[in-house]
Amino acid sequence: MAHFEDYQEPPEALDGLKVIELPCLDTIPFMAAAMAAKSFADFGAEVIKVEPPRSGARERQLGPFRDAMPDLETGGLHLYLNTNKLGVTLNLEDSRARDLLMRLLADADIVFNPNTPARCERLEIGWRTIADRFPKLINVSVTYFGTDGAYRDYRGGDLVATHMSGVGFETPWHQVTDPPNEPPLKPAGRQADYLTGYTAAAAAMAAVFDRKHSGRGQHIDSSQWLAMVSMLRPNIGVYSHESPEAPIYERTRKRIKRGAQWVYPASDGWVSFNAGTDRFWRGWKKVMGSPEWMDSEMFASPVARAAHIDAIEAAVIDWLSGETRDSAFRKAQAEHVPCFPVHTAAEVAENAQYRARRFFVDQDHPVAKTVRMPGAPCRFSATPWRIKRGAPRLGEHNRKIFVERLALSERELESLRAERVI
Amino acid sequence: MTRLPFEGIRILDFGWIFAVPHATAYLGALGADVIRVESTLAPDLVRFLTGTDGVPGFNRSGIYHAINFSRRGIALQLAHPKAQEIARRLVKLSDVVTENFTVGNMQKYGLGYEDLRAIRPDIIMLSGTPLGQDGPFARTVGFGPTTQAYAGLCHLTGYPNSFPCGIGGTWPDFAVGTAMVFFLLAALYHRDRTGQGKYLDLSMAEMVTTMIPEAMLEYFMNGRDPGPVGNRDDAMAPHGVYPVSGDDQWIAIAISTDEEFRMLCGILAVPSLADDPKFARLADRLRNVEALDAEVAARTRNFTREDLVAKLRERQIAAGPVYNTQDLMQDKAFLASGMLEKLGHGEVGERIVPTLPVRFSAIEPRYFGAPMIGEHTDEVLRELLGMSADEIAQLRDGKVLV
Repeated sequence: MAHFEDYQEPPEALDGLKVIELPCLDTIPFMAAAMAAKSFADFGAEVIKVEPPRSGARERQLGPFRDAMPDLETGGLHLYLNTNKLGVTLNLEDSRARDLLMRLLADADIVFNPNTPARCERLEIGWRTIADRFPKLINVSVTYFGTDGAYRDYRGGDLVATHMSGVGFETPWHQVTDPPNEPPLKPAGRQADYLTGYTAAAAAMAAVFDRKHSGRGQHIDSSQWLAMVSMLRPNIGVYSHESPEAPIYERTRKRIKRGAQWVYPASDGWVSFNAGTDRFWRGWKKVMGSPEWMDSEMFASPVARAAHIDAIEAAVIDWLSGETRDSAFRKAQAEHVPCFPVHTAAEVAENAQYRARRFFVDQDHPVAKTVRMPGAPCRFSATPWRIKRGAPRLGEHNRKIFVERLALSERELESLRAERVI
Repeated sequence: MTRLPFEGIRILDFGWIFAVPHATAYLGALGADVIRVESTLAPDLVRFLTGTDGVPGFNRSGIYHAINFSRRGIALQLAHPKAQEIARRLVKLSDVVTENFTVGNMQKYGLGYEDLRAIRPDIIMLSGTPLGQDGPFARTVGFGPTTQAYAGLCHLTGYPNSFPCGIGGTWPDFAVGTAMVFFLLAALYHRDRTGQGKYLDLSMAEMVTTMIPEAMLEYFMNGRDPGPVGNRDDAMAPHGVYPVSGDDQWIAIAISTDEEFRMLCGILAVPSLADDPKFARLADRLRNVEALDAEVAARTRNFTREDLVAKLRERQIAAGPVYNTQDLMQDKAFLASGMLEKLGHGEVGERIVPTLPVRFSAIEPRYFGAPMIGEHTDEVLRELLGMSADEIAQLRDGKVLV
């Protein structure tokens, strides 16, 4: 008996913060705001996700779907990105919907808005308008190119930001041998979207602390392009400080193989490793059985090894042809050399390390039933990450938010719904 | 100058390489007193990344400077018991401790979370490792690019039916570092409300896997193990990188509607392509994507990059030049963005550094150049621990402060 009465929900890190996530109204899928809001929701903030009526947020249309059967409620990306969120629908093209949005904002700490300045102006939700009305609100524009500057109204997204930042130019990493047939490449999935989400989320938290001192909210301008540029800060360091004659300077303007490529074939797949430093090189020598050639002056320092990388790689590939990914991984790690297998998604899903840490979690959902998915991006000893509520059905919380909280009558709710405002 | 949000917060940073120093740069720029602990006996590998203007020495790396701004630096040889004792005294005066050593190293120095909690009960400690603090492979050694492989991202990144590819910029180090800022601030927010500290165990591989939900869910929902798709997308076509005139010059184009495709065909001077039943609707284009990409690539070659980018942007089509770093550093909008700052440095003078990629309307971040190794040892020990010059000199002679 006492067990039940003593039981309390575990406390959550961001308990008490209220976040509004606006939909991206572009036809380009842009998941940055959804990821930013997910990171808040999964650590305990209240997130109200605003979606267009009928079609819902863009991720609902993207899948993956079970047996490739599209359904607004059961898409994998929707279920993943919208954990722990409350869902309401608002047609922001309608001024009555915008009035309701303003009432939501009046009670919120943070809003993530992924629309370009031009679109926001048209919908009368530009950041200056919002700032004037809600001086305590933290208003986060999370857009393709930021809210000022020459590019602010250009459309972009994951592909464009990746390639305008220079990340695409460097991918594949040190593996390009035939540039005309190996175009610059985008990392898989939506890395630029998710990274931008975390950038915006981190900045929003900084503004929460600022507000504690100042009593004021503020506008945050989070550009996907600059977030991706931030991933290449080593290149900017090299470009700004190195002599154009230095070998490393080449990386800032040429796609050529220079230095270790990191990814090599083993007998049953690929491994990723690097042994550039002296310590790792010594370890690698032991792993390889201390062949004599490794003692040559040609390989005596990191700089010397970089100059003879082709010879090293040929020997490594020869050695790896007699090793499985697992044997190479175990032998290298025994000598403290950073070497990991290249895993497929299925292998990650079944991986012993991930299993031991119970990384994957099951989301129970009334329509989609049980769906397994990636869990906590970071383990908190107290206030753990958790799914306490599955992704909302489209408009699931309209009544809870608009009637119970904003005190619309049932009749008003019905008529707004009939007129497709909600 | 107005008060910065993290003034009064102190972070003792044992992190090295990229991810953790990138995270603490955010917090230092926003006002925290970040004290980076290093040792000349085992310097950050990044201090050796390239000869940097040809002059030897570990204070000159441009890459190090591009990451380690807005902090102080002290030299502590942590293998020495007296250095460990100093570290513990500094912990008592700190709010946050960050590190990314191999699992078990901090415990070895008497600086594990349980040790720290005994000194300062509300401490927040973040440990970043390749695979996390527990599990059968916790004690592995790895870098960002190897965890990218372990976590599934590398296999998914590549040309269709081709080899797995590493991602540029030593992905995911800086992405993980950015997320670490959020996690630390969530922990700090909770501490401020409840007085409770915590331990944050971040597995870089797990973090990367949280960023490939599409592939993981495809496996969990359908049992299908996806492979690489190049620059393509399953909801847009064309969606790719296409050659333009010149050597290794490319343009990125993302077409999300049939109407945009029609405009693209007009600009590429093949309006008839938009009526071709193989390409007219999105579903057709996705089905015939190889033929589609070949048709587009055959026409983009007739344009210069800047000309085609301008024409597409004029019609509100998502497109952009594929930049190398030199192109980026000459882009007028980038130079006007304010992200680059000239910061001073004790040994090399002024250097151009990329600062935070976000702008705040009411916070002006505080940027100052990366420390030389141990640059602030005396200052920190005097100011925080009240040590005398003699004591400091003795500890230096005893190889504690090196």
